[in-house]
Amino acid sequence: MSKVKPAPLPPDTVIGGYRIVRKLAAGGFGVVYLAVDTEGQQVAVKEYLPSSLASRGPGELLPQVQPEKLSLYRLGLKSFFEEGRALAQISHASVVSVLNFFRENETVYMVMNFLEGASLQEFIITAREQKKQKVFRESTIRSLYDEVLRGLRIVHQHKMLHLDIKPANIFVTDDNRSVLIDFGAAREVLSKEGNFIRPMYTPGFAAPEMYRRDSSMGPWTDIYAIGACIYASMQGYPPNDAPQRLEKDRLSLALSRLRGVYSDNLIEVVEWCMSLDPLSRPQSVFALQKELSRETERSYTKLTVAEKMRLQFDNIVSDNKKSLRKSTNAGTKFR
Amino acid sequence: MKFSVYQISRQGGRERNEDRMGYAYTRESGLFVLADGMGGHPEGAMAAQLALQTFSAYFQKAANPTVREVPEFLSSALMAAHHQIIRYAAEKGMLDTPRTTLVASVMERGHVYWVHCGDSRLYVVRNGEMLTRTRDHSYMEQQAHLGRATEHINRNILFTCLGSPAKPVFDLSGPVQLMQGDRVLLCSDGLWGTVSDEEITEELSKRPLEQAVPELVELALKRGGPRCDNVTVLAMEWETADEFQSTRVSTEDIEEGVFASTIQSGTPDSTMEDLDDAAIEQSIAEINEAIRRTAERNT
Repeated sequence: MSKVKPAPLPPDTVIGGYRIVRKLAAGGFGVVYLAVDTEGQQVAVKEYLPSSLASRGPGELLPQVQPEKLSLYRLGLKSFFEEGRALAQISHASVVSVLNFFRENETVYMVMNFLEGASLQEFIITAREQKKQKVFRESTIRSLYDEVLRGLRIVHQHKMLHLDIKPANIFVTDDNRSVLIDFGAAREVLSKEGNFIRPMYTPGFAAPEMYRRDSSMGPWTDIYAIGACIYASMQGYPPNDAPQRLEKDRLSLALSRLRGVYSDNLIEVVEWCMSLDPLSRPQSVFALQKELSRETERSYTKLTVAEKMRLQFDNIVSDNKKSLRKSTNAGTKFR
Repeated sequence: MKFSVYQISRQGGRERNEDRMGYAYTRESGLFVLADGMGGHPEGAMAAQLALQTFSAYFQKAANPTVREVPEFLSSALMAAHHQIIRYAAEKGMLDTPRTTLVASVMERGHVYWVHCGDSRLYVVRNGEMLTRTRDHSYMEQQAHLGRATEHINRNILFTCLGSPAKPVFDLSGPVQLMQGDRVLLCSDGLWGTVSDEEITEELSKRPLEQAVPELVELALKRGGPRCDNVTVLAMEWETADEFQSTRVSTEDIEEGVFASTIQSGTPDSTMEDLDDAAIEQSIAEINEAIRRTAERNT
């Protein structure tokens, strides 16, 4: 939001004993660097430097915060600490781990293990550009989400919710592990009531209760997002957002395009996870894991001629929706 | 949607700055809010902050990507902000409630709408002329409206605000169709108390925002002297012609479905409670202790 983004620290700057190699990413909260520790081990260092509240000139170390923004800056620091606290308690191969936390340059830094690979979002985009009938193979989807769910289960065991699960926050490493990243939205839920402003959400992946201020969120809220991620891994595009679905729900219709391509069971799992009513979803990660790992004989139900015609008709009427149209191209080609 | 925006808030000669301002936008709608937490009651800054947060949260929910029913949105956000303040006071068992003025505007589909309660103002300036401004909910403005002498009236007495036990009185205005170069300014009484409507109009018309706004604030601070009130100004220009102006925001730069805001959300109890150095050190120590324990558990 600010006019000029704060300048990242230049390569070779040493902070807290870590030497910066290069900037990896920058977001609203600050900057992530690739750095090496004294033993030459690569790490990712996340610097708290909210671009809307702080500025920093090129080559400078200390960020400048205008006096009237100081309280918001400190408030943001609190959620940065919350993320650190959340991650510090968890050590699991499928959850990004935090190695150190320190204060320097009048701000704070979180050191995490450095992951080589790409986000699931990048994989989905690459895969869908190949215009194949399937974005990912069903077995790939099942094993990928099995890993993600193992990590998420640990997160929930620590009475935390991720609340921003989406393909961009699922990282697939070069050694084929999937890791949940970015716990910036995580809140220790079960402890606090009356949190009247919900964290920011991503349309398509956010469950309907994240939009409502009065209802309670729970593991089922992350499960909705998992369902939406699986959907995106099958269709190549995110599902409609929850408010749209509440108005006119086209999920079943969109999923019916995938019949015959993916097993009935996988399609049902997505529908189950993405139930608009939180109580109709799997209530725990365990329940979902059980269903997803059930490797019985897969059955496929092909579309009838009438159903195909209905889909094509829907295609004409919903022509203004780019994503729908594209996914239909992939979905109606099969015999 | 393209606009320029510039905001400044200065403490003046007061012990605290109890003014709050901010803006938020989606691809097709923009929200601008300013609140002036009132003295004489506890935690004015908190009331102002709660009002901003409520507007931001409501906007995030409603702007999809346009708000559509803008007047309805503005009035329901205002009432929600009022209730948040009352609830905050009740939860903390406060004897008196925090209070704030409020002015908020929404721009979408080429129109501007606004709501105000109290004496924070909104000005619309077009082609060097003041097109309109809000009328304060103060005894002074009320008497002036009736054509009575106002020299001896304390301009600081308001008959409505957010957070008071009485239901807020507010005015909805707009839609006004925007033309390229139109300027909309939101300000606290720290500005208009010492700078006249004519001066505001003139300054705003003759210079780009990033010069006009600091100039106006400086003028108010100079005239306000050592006891000067907080001065806060948030101004925007509709469809700035100059592509390279640094204050320019193009909402097309953000993705569909994304919401950007300068208003930080937070739980009401923690919002203004500053982390001091000791608390920061303690948090870091706790996190490192947790990292150590977790590592130990796994070896």
